[in-house]
Amino acid sequence: MDQKKITIYSTPMCVYCRLAKDFFKKHNLQYTEIDVLRDMKAREEMFAKSKQMGVPVIDIDGEIFVGFDKGSLEKILGVRQM
Amino acid sequence: MYDLIIVGGGPAGVAAGVYAGRKRIKALLVTDTFGGQSLVSNEVQNWIGTKSISGFDLGKNLEEHLREYSDVEIMDGAWVKSIIKEDKGFRLQVSDDKSVNTRTVLIATGSRHRKLEVPGEKELEGKGVAYCSTCDAPLFEGKVVAVIGGGNSGLEAVRDLIPYAKEIYLLIRSEKTKGDPVTFEKISGNPKVHIVTMAQTKEILGTDHARGLRYVDLETSMDKELLVEGVFVEIGTVPNSELVKGLAEINPYGEIIVDHKTQRTSVPGIWAAGDVCDVLYKQNNISVGDAIKAALNIERYLHKE
Repeated sequence: MDQKKITIYSTPMCVYCRLAKDFFKKHNLQYTEIDVLRDMKAREEMFAKSKQMGVPVIDIDGEIFVGFDKGSLEKILGVRQM
Repeated sequence: MYDLIIVGGGPAGVAAGVYAGRKRIKALLVTDTFGGQSLVSNEVQNWIGTKSISGFDLGKNLEEHLREYSDVEIMDGAWVKSIIKEDKGFRLQVSDDKSVNTRTVLIATGSRHRKLEVPGEKELEGKGVAYCSTCDAPLFEGKVVAVIGGGNSGLEAVRDLIPYAKEIYLLIRSEKTKGDPVTFEKISGNPKVHIVTMAQTKEILGTDHARGLRYVDLETSMDKELLVEGVFVEIGTVPNSELVKGLAEINPYGEIIVDHKTQRTSVPGIWAAGDVCDVLYKQNNISVGDAIKAALNIERYLHKE
């Protein structure tokens, strides 16, 4: 099965962004990171997708997650243990 | 059936977990993330034995230390929904609709951001109303923002915003800051920063996005408005004690009342440690020590039973 497409919008100091990225790495999931501190166009894109001004915003095959909710990510990515 | 379930992955929960592991107590720790409230701190300088560490690394170290003890099961990315007292111990309802049984429980759920509880706050959360300045400050580049709260976390939010925001209003409810004078002097000298004292926030204004806030000037009782696109709320914390509401004794501040020698709550079989209980000083190092007191006392209780 092909891996779902993951895009994470983040800022450099955001801890929950780092937790999310570590989580993807741990499960060998490929992801695209977009730093919205530098990329203003991406920032607009993130606002449009999430209707939100907060990071991280995670786009998984078009489904939008705001913040790092490990449980939900594990479920949608099919890596939930136990 | 577990002997102990620890709820929480901050310094208290992990400390109890490590001790439970060393004592070979059959334990489970349930948490959403590791690190507790310090997780979002840029720098922690009072974690004893370490001159300086980021909240992120502190959380990582705690998790790694706990994972050394394979006897302690870990359920992370999870949370406990309810605790039900049964004949022998307790039944915990965990996320994913799981149910687990245990002889004892340690509540180490810490505390969370206090909300203003004013109109517009909930509606505009994430739409200009923010609670994590280290995360979201860069998104307010070139904007006029307000920080509400005159304690240390309010001052730190201002400090986080200075590189990005155009102007920052710091709203303090009393006559002066309760934070450290050293931090206050640093930020109040910055031309971007405007200090507004005796200000009580009444409403966040805006529909799709925050466009301002209304506050009462407590000196004159006059209503005033500020045009801001961001509102960072830093007005202290609330203990996460809802899990034992109606079960254990809780004081008017929402803190679980414990015996400070053993960390026992009013319910035999339930202990509490860290910021969720009525400890006078909410500190990482204190949470660790108190949770260890609890773990040792729990071990004793399990052997006696």
